[in-house]
Amino acid sequence: MTGVRLKRSGGCLGVLLKIAMLGLANALTLWAAPVLIGDRQYGLLAGLFLGVLAIDYVFIAKKAYPVRFLLPGFLLLTLMVVCPIGYTIYVAFTNFSSGHILSKQMAIDQYRNRYVKQVDLPAYKSGYFRNRAGAIVVLMTDRRGNRLIGREGKAYPLEISGLNPVDSDNDGNLDHLGDFIRLGTQQIFPMIGKLQNLTFAYRDVLLKMNSLEEFASYLPQYRYDARQDSLVDKTTGVIYYARAGRFASTNGTYLDIGYRTAVGWRNFKDLLTDRRIANPFLRVLMWTLIWATFSVIGAFTLGILLAVLLDDVKLRLRGLYRALLIIPYAFPVFVSALIWRGLFNVEFGQINAMLAPILGFKIPWLQDPFWAKVALLITNLWLGFPYMMLISLGALQSIPNELREAATVDGASGWQQFSFITLPLLLSMLLPLLIASFAFNFNNFNVIYLVTEGRPAIPGALTPTGATDILISYTYRMAFEGGVGARNYGLAATVSLFIFLIVSAITWINFKFTGALKEAPER
Amino acid sequence: MKRGSSIILFVCVLVTVLAAAMPAGASEEGKLLIWADEVRATVMTEFAAGFEAKYKMKITVQQTNFKDIKEQLGTAGPAGSGPDIIVGQHDWLGEFVTSGLIEPIDLGDKQKDFSPSSLQAFTWGKSLYGLPYGIESVGLIYNKALVPKPPKTWTELVSRGRKLSNKAKGQWGFTMPQPDPYHTFPLMSATGAYVFGVNADGTLNPLNVGLNNKGGVFGLQLLVDLVKAGIMPLGCDYDTMINLFKTGKVAMIIAGPWTFADFRAAKVNFGFTKLPTVKGKIMRPFVGVAGFMVSAHGKNKMLAKTFLTEFVATKSAMKSLFDKDPRPPAYIPLAKEVTDPDISGVLANAATGIPMPAIPEMGSVWNAWSNAISLALNGQLTPQKALDDAVDQIVAAIKRGM
Repeated sequence: MTGVRLKRSGGCLGVLLKIAMLGLANALTLWAAPVLIGDRQYGLLAGLFLGVLAIDYVFIAKKAYPVRFLLPGFLLLTLMVVCPIGYTIYVAFTNFSSGHILSKQMAIDQYRNRYVKQVDLPAYKSGYFRNRAGAIVVLMTDRRGNRLIGREGKAYPLEISGLNPVDSDNDGNLDHLGDFIRLGTQQIFPMIGKLQNLTFAYRDVLLKMNSLEEFASYLPQYRYDARQDSLVDKTTGVIYYARAGRFASTNGTYLDIGYRTAVGWRNFKDLLTDRRIANPFLRVLMWTLIWATFSVIGAFTLGILLAVLLDDVKLRLRGLYRALLIIPYAFPVFVSALIWRGLFNVEFGQINAMLAPILGFKIPWLQDPFWAKVALLITNLWLGFPYMMLISLGALQSIPNELREAATVDGASGWQQFSFITLPLLLSMLLPLLIASFAFNFNNFNVIYLVTEGRPAIPGALTPTGATDILISYTYRMAFEGGVGARNYGLAATVSLFIFLIVSAITWINFKFTGALKEAPER
Repeated sequence: MKRGSSIILFVCVLVTVLAAAMPAGASEEGKLLIWADEVRATVMTEFAAGFEAKYKMKITVQQTNFKDIKEQLGTAGPAGSGPDIIVGQHDWLGEFVTSGLIEPIDLGDKQKDFSPSSLQAFTWGKSLYGLPYGIESVGLIYNKALVPKPPKTWTELVSRGRKLSNKAKGQWGFTMPQPDPYHTFPLMSATGAYVFGVNADGTLNPLNVGLNNKGGVFGLQLLVDLVKAGIMPLGCDYDTMINLFKTGKVAMIIAGPWTFADFRAAKVNFGFTKLPTVKGKIMRPFVGVAGFMVSAHGKNKMLAKTFLTEFVATKSAMKSLFDKDPRPPAYIPLAKEVTDPDISGVLANAATGIPMPAIPEMGSVWNAWSNAISLALNGQLTPQKALDDAVDQIVAAIKRGM
């Protein structure tokens, strides 16, 4: 009986906790709504509301009980995986790059907010007034003492405004205009974003903030013509039509600011057909495959070799060796990769200092494409073998000793035992890990970027591409280091899609080998 | 238990989403946010206090890596999470202006206090986009213990360098960062190389790239010869150069005033002087101008402009900037008072220098050019072939971008 009661009270607490948590989640969503509306993030808002509604439903409805364990994972998956993939696909079809950062509307808005100051017209000292309802009027006084009132987009003389000017402390500055009260500097600052965009039509110009204490006469420089989709420079009369991410006039001149726009398959076409982009891309792809393959084979061979040696009970000080050999794995890659970079330096590196007297020349480790690749593979071997050694050691324990004993009885040599018993058994156990390691090295940005930065360069490449770049570092450099018109996010996104396809294929093969996609066998 | 943890997980996700929607470092109405690198962030914080006291408003100075300022403005600005003001370099202008990231500013009467060339550097089209404060260019830095009198000509530099070099002892006569177009340019420009040709109206012609002309090839060959003669170590990057010079392992380097603080801290007795002449011709380094820019996506543009014109464009602010980060001032009233010989050295080099092209096409130049230098230094290509390839590539990239 007591057991049942305890369980029930726990359930009650659980329900309370559940309701509290759900309430909190809903409250947070409601609180986020105005913020997101303010930022015009309607998509995010809709997603958030749908997500919270789904959670409410799932946690309250009895029918949906099984789903509640899946839902958080599903939401996370959407947020962290599906959204970025969707965005990358979208970017791959745009010209998103330096000079094409803003949306078209943002670019047009910037031009609509360009004004030409009319220097031959008067400037005005300004004062700001606000009434109870929060409406703002601006008092503008020119050098001769003429006073204008700016209100709701128009400016007119104070005398016809119907506002009663009051200077209560007689300091020459008005304190009240009707029911509007003068604002102090500290009150102005939080509103500056609004105030700086106020314009008042006066005669044929616009009065606009020129500095904190001054208004001046301006004329807008550009007019947007929605029908023609063009910006007209009113000072020169030149018409700039929106074409392929820029505003261009018919005589070949451009406005400075470009915008982001869809370009269809252009990035894909460039990547596959432009010789100066496609050739380096293929070289990078080839080297990525070689790099990943040799990294895995090298680390695995060395790892298994050491594991077999360490597994030998006759070896003394095994614990010490094991500890020492794990060091490369325990070291942060950022430190060891940079140390290797220093070791490989052609003039100052320790490796050449040791090798040069023997070879009679200095190996250009980081300068020559071939040697740079060798240097990278050596570095990655050093970084990678302890992991392989560790998992092989573990796997070796699970191979029954009887098998080897039986082989010994049958007269098999040590090598025969290894190649016919140990290795096949190890391979079948470690294959999934090897494939995972391949996929990891396929995207092993750190080692490449820290040791060679992808250099040395491939001559003639249009994108910033080096002989030791793998796909991921190639993409990074394209997006962030510049080349074709500096940062090219569009093209980089296109390459990421290719990487996505390749890694997906590897994962699929991995699943196939490990049988993860198969249904559980019936018993 | 599982249920509880999944709820907690969900709340975490929600909080993350909200946090993402409202970045902590975003420009807020009524508060100024400034992005500056570590050197200038300290100075900015100091005189932000003065502005805060006068206008009773909050200024936040966010220390950001110099390189990150340029990289992140493009994403943070339009997303509404950028700063109001950034501290940067005039050659960023092209990319910033064409990407719609910065705002023209009007210095009004204060314009006359700034050196015309520094204002010119921050001008794009007909508008001024920045408030300049420091001028910089590279020069010859020499260790006075090893080189009592700096060489006046390249031939002198080579013969002096040869005497000082001892490969076995790891002693070098001369070095510069490799492969680095910025530091290599003076060698190439002396004999006539240029990045972009100049049109009749004074604007730059991005399709006329003159890096592979006779002068450029000659200049790059000089560098290759230095490596071959064992005077300059191959594969020396910027940090290696700084370390070699600090420890007296290299006698002469080409570097800029930003290294001074480092060398002074290491107590190296160094001098900064004019670059030597090549075949009787003056080496012409790139001239860069450091300054302040106003983000087009900040919420307080008017405040930002007021801050710059009323507080930064003053002698006291310019002085404290100069004290922390000694570059020749662009602010004339302060420039008149500076007597430091090293700073005069920078000015002497800058006076004969070439303004670093700020047009966005410059983005396509650096990488290809840097590759050409490394290919030539590594001996994979001749300087002629390496530079021909680079120019080819630059022009192709620029044509595509147009």
